[in-house]
Amino acid sequence: MIKYALQRIIYMFFVFMIISFMSFVLIRMLPLPALPPNDPHTAILEIRREALGYNKPYLEQFWIFIKGIVTKWDWGTSEKLYIGRDVWQVFVEKLPASMIVNLYSIIWTIPVGIGFGILAALKKNTWVDYLISTLTMVVISVPSFVYAFLIQYILCFKLRWFPFVMKAGTDYFSWEMFKSIVPPILALSFGVIAGFCRTTRAELTEVLTSEFMLLARTKGLTKTQATVRHALRNCFVVIVPGIFGEFIGIIGGSLIIERIFSVPGVGGLTLNAINGLDYNIFMLSTCFYTAIGLAAGLVVDISYGFIDPRIRMGSKK
Amino acid sequence: MKKFLSLLLAFVMLFSLVACGDNPSDSGDGKTPVNSGDNQGDVNVPDDGGEGEGEASDSAVTEFEPEATYTYESWTSGLSANWNPHDYEDNNSSGQLGYLIDSFYTMAFNDELHPMEDATRTPFDGYLYIPSMASGMPVDVTAEVAAEHPDWIPEGATSGYAWEIPLREDLYFDTGYHITANSYVEGMKRILDYKLQNYRSTDVYANTYGIVGAEAYFKSGQYALSEFVSANMGADEYVDPANFTTTADGTYQYDGKDVVLDIKSGGNWGLDGGISTYAGQVDQVDRLIAAANEKGWVYLTPDLLKDLQDVIAMLHSAADVEEYAASAGDYAYQEFEEMVFFGFDNPEVTYEDTVGLYAKDDYHLVEVFKASCSGFTLFYNAIQDYLLLVEPDVYDSCITQQADGTYASTYMTSAETSPSYGPYSMTSYQTDKLIHYSRNDSWYGYHDDVNNVYKDPTDGKIYRTYQTTDIDIQALEGDAAVATAKNMFLSGELVTYGLQAADMDQYRNSEYCIDEPGASIFFMLLTGNVDGLQAREDAEGFDTAVEDIQTILCPSFRKAFAVSFDRQAYCDETSPSLTPGYGIFGKTIIYDPETAGYYRDTDVAKQALCDFYSVDTSAFSSLDDAVDSITGYDPEAAKELYTAAFQESLDAGYITDADGDGKCDQTINIIYAIGAQSVTDIMQLRINWMDTAIVKATEGTPFENKVHIKASAPLGGGEEFANALKSGSCDVCLCGWTGSAMDPYNLLQAYTWDSYSYAANWYHPQQDMLELTLNGETIEMSVYDWAECVTGNDVTVGDKTYNFGTNNADQETRLQILAGVEGKLLQTFTYIPFANDGSKFLLSQKVYYVVDEYNPVMGFGGLAYMKYNYNDEEWKAYCDEQIAAHGQLQY
Repeated sequence: MIKYALQRIIYMFFVFMIISFMSFVLIRMLPLPALPPNDPHTAILEIRREALGYNKPYLEQFWIFIKGIVTKWDWGTSEKLYIGRDVWQVFVEKLPASMIVNLYSIIWTIPVGIGFGILAALKKNTWVDYLISTLTMVVISVPSFVYAFLIQYILCFKLRWFPFVMKAGTDYFSWEMFKSIVPPILALSFGVIAGFCRTTRAELTEVLTSEFMLLARTKGLTKTQATVRHALRNCFVVIVPGIFGEFIGIIGGSLIIERIFSVPGVGGLTLNAINGLDYNIFMLSTCFYTAIGLAAGLVVDISYGFIDPRIRMGSKK
Repeated sequence: MKKFLSLLLAFVMLFSLVACGDNPSDSGDGKTPVNSGDNQGDVNVPDDGGEGEGEASDSAVTEFEPEATYTYESWTSGLSANWNPHDYEDNNSSGQLGYLIDSFYTMAFNDELHPMEDATRTPFDGYLYIPSMASGMPVDVTAEVAAEHPDWIPEGATSGYAWEIPLREDLYFDTGYHITANSYVEGMKRILDYKLQNYRSTDVYANTYGIVGAEAYFKSGQYALSEFVSANMGADEYVDPANFTTTADGTYQYDGKDVVLDIKSGGNWGLDGGISTYAGQVDQVDRLIAAANEKGWVYLTPDLLKDLQDVIAMLHSAADVEEYAASAGDYAYQEFEEMVFFGFDNPEVTYEDTVGLYAKDDYHLVEVFKASCSGFTLFYNAIQDYLLLVEPDVYDSCITQQADGTYASTYMTSAETSPSYGPYSMTSYQTDKLIHYSRNDSWYGYHDDVNNVYKDPTDGKIYRTYQTTDIDIQALEGDAAVATAKNMFLSGELVTYGLQAADMDQYRNSEYCIDEPGASIFFMLLTGNVDGLQAREDAEGFDTAVEDIQTILCPSFRKAFAVSFDRQAYCDETSPSLTPGYGIFGKTIIYDPETAGYYRDTDVAKQALCDFYSVDTSAFSSLDDAVDSITGYDPEAAKELYTAAFQESLDAGYITDADGDGKCDQTINIIYAIGAQSVTDIMQLRINWMDTAIVKATEGTPFENKVHIKASAPLGGGEEFANALKSGSCDVCLCGWTGSAMDPYNLLQAYTWDSYSYAANWYHPQQDMLELTLNGETIEMSVYDWAECVTGNDVTVGDKTYNFGTNNADQETRLQILAGVEGKLLQTFTYIPFANDGSKFLLSQKVYYVVDEYNPVMGFGGLAYMKYNYNDEEWKAYCDEQIAAHGQLQY
């Protein structure tokens, strides 16, 4: 297992470098906005571009970029969106808001989603199953921003239960802050709940009809004992990687939900960096998410071995 | 030990009491000490019949509730992350910066405390400049400075160039840093620090009223490209290339300066990418590009110069420069000088000997400008003090050198790095989320009973400006922002809400609805790019048997198009905040800031419109009535003109009438440029309206049902729509120009300078002659030259040189020129006036403006003149009560 993990980490490094270099070159190849010829600021912007190395060969620019990271953990300063500011600081400053909203969302969506899935599977082909399955399908079909608008209009405007937008500040665990992020949490949750519900129901339904479940019952286990000890554990082989994926998604943010509820997170950072040609922010977020994505793949793969001992990693046989 | 502690405590308490007692200005509330009364004698005390400094006493001012908070809540679609006065780049930044700064002089509404010289004025119908950070009005010291620094002042000039500004002595940053005249000098040195490459550095030298010597100091010791070679040759304009010398490495020089081509510089190529745009098309261009260094600079050698001359010749449809010379003479060999620069090392200079901004003593600052100025121009255009002043300790601590060798500054990128010397301090800032400002108690204005007060026209009492104690600016982004803002406003969480088209029916008649006219005018720009339209017709897929576009070039068609639209109906049905517009300049454009005179209210401007719209002024009792009769919409004339255009188009071969039924065989689809990422509902509504209007206008003509207006594919943001119109790939767009609201003369450059003009590819103002009779003298020159000389440039006609700039001609003469040029521009039928810009917004019941009438310079007075009906606590209670009763606030 360790050998397999180390091997994967080495591969990851090469993949990471290739993706980073490609991203670096592609973003730098985008044409810079033309500078108005009669604007007195044009001269100073040209001097700036020159000083920032925009006219140097791409390989040389990439070397300077990598050298700064390796030697000083210097990801550069923002050249457009947050002029003058250290992009790492900007990124780290915006990360907690995204994480806290996603974290709260996951904390309650996973048990609720799995719970409804189990209920639907256990009550298969009853009105309970039909109701849950129908609602699941409806919820999955509707994009999350629609819920966001409805939640904001009904809960925030009409009922005045919550503020319209997330509270400013960094007191992420205060009651006021929690109250202000309930609307984005709800907007993010419906789709995730429906997803887990559907997966759990499908897997559990299949497992419950397996022959080993019949054997377990004939051995004398109660239905609950058989379900919890055998059926659920088997269907979790599929569900747990999904849960890992959700946790990885915590740091991803959501562009639309963050905008609607004014969550100062990382949701739109990459997109804004591309539009604004803010190279350093783009590279930081690209490298960050590439690394996270590669790490997530590794973690998910390794997790299979823990959940189901029959699965062995890196075996040649 | 206990005894020692007791003694220590007693000593500390005693010391505290003494310290409090020693400071008379300390009110005990922890505010930064200020010295409001020290220099009252210097302040511009209003002539109220009193005894001067003692008369404007505290008792005259009605104080607001000291313990109450009055919060102004607003929102923006994007918070700026950098509001460094040396480096900010956009309006959001300057807005955020605006609360933290102040200026030497500020505009105030005229009232009894600040009366205008014009005795006919009634309170709050005008404005004037009054001292703010200055302790008195500026003093002209041109003669004095000229004696000390003769190189700073033009020979013979005795006034208008150098001004001494007396400063108050009670100016502080909220960090406690004491502001003196030298603080501005320190700021100037920092903004001009080359290594920092401050975006705003050019603002202090690269404009008409820049500071003398600032550019030389900024570029001290730097190698740089100067202006174009031709522009550097003065009256000679061009230099004979035979006079170039050759260096050891074979490159040309003239007078010790390199002759350099920048392959990426748009400049006079008329292309954003300069000569590099032609890469791969001819060998000469490729050789030039190959010779460029990493900056894109080509040091010209004889061979490379020949290549450049050939490229220019090819643009004139000649094979090479020799062939071009057959028709253009020596100019063919010299035209390249309009595209290349002189490159040289700027000499090393010192600040003290070079820059015309210095401290005479602690409280007197001298500014020396490159051009003469006075009055409004001095205050509004020349003095840009807010650019200079920074808190040096914080500023210097914010600068770091990066891995790539460049320098970055975090000054004014967070609350901690944003020292304030204005009415508010930034107390918190969260990136992309919220800014909170609180009252800056160290600002002298809160203790000044002379200038920062006004007499409320409603109750006749005297109040201080800036009742607002706190400001929240919330970032709301994305498509949902407006809907969120509306709901927040109706819940009492925002102070204003800009009305959208869908809100008009419900709120336009609300007593809380405020009209805010804009300075811009929107005109329908109709392309006239012959080559561009021909290229479209030549393109694959364009079937000239069934479709045509070149008909829009026919003069009669353009005239017909202009009178096909009912502007009033357009505004009512698609854009209720707009009002119909008929001229090149909007109705709030001011021609004389000193008197706040509107250009559109002048007789010459009215006459220009009457002439263009063929209004017989003799049929009306007054010129005003004649102008009021203009609608720009004449369906009958449109039909006649479309019929005439049909014949013109047939004659030009653009269209056919194969069956001889007198109807056009082709359909003319006029493409409306969509300058956005997508076609929004409101855009589609407007285009549909225009299409319906033109279909109606062509009914009963040979173009019946043959002319349509259609949306282009989305072109994206920025200037893409303008590029599409210039190139002829799109045909029309409703667009305009912002800026120069108080200088329409300067705005003319938007129409006469090729680098700005939408119509540069087909309208040539240098060739469009205009004859005007000024003060009995009839003068004919091109529209371009009229625009140049009315903005203060010398223009020579025959053996006479004219200059009708501010300092050289009276206002009436200048107005006459402006109206004449406006008439000429209208006659191009390229700019078809459509609507005056404007907006409507709801103002919260929480607040009101002291003034009712919008002033194009002062607006409604901003926060300074905003008053509150409720403090925050009362407002919350009021909102709860109203929402409980009605579900939302009622507007």
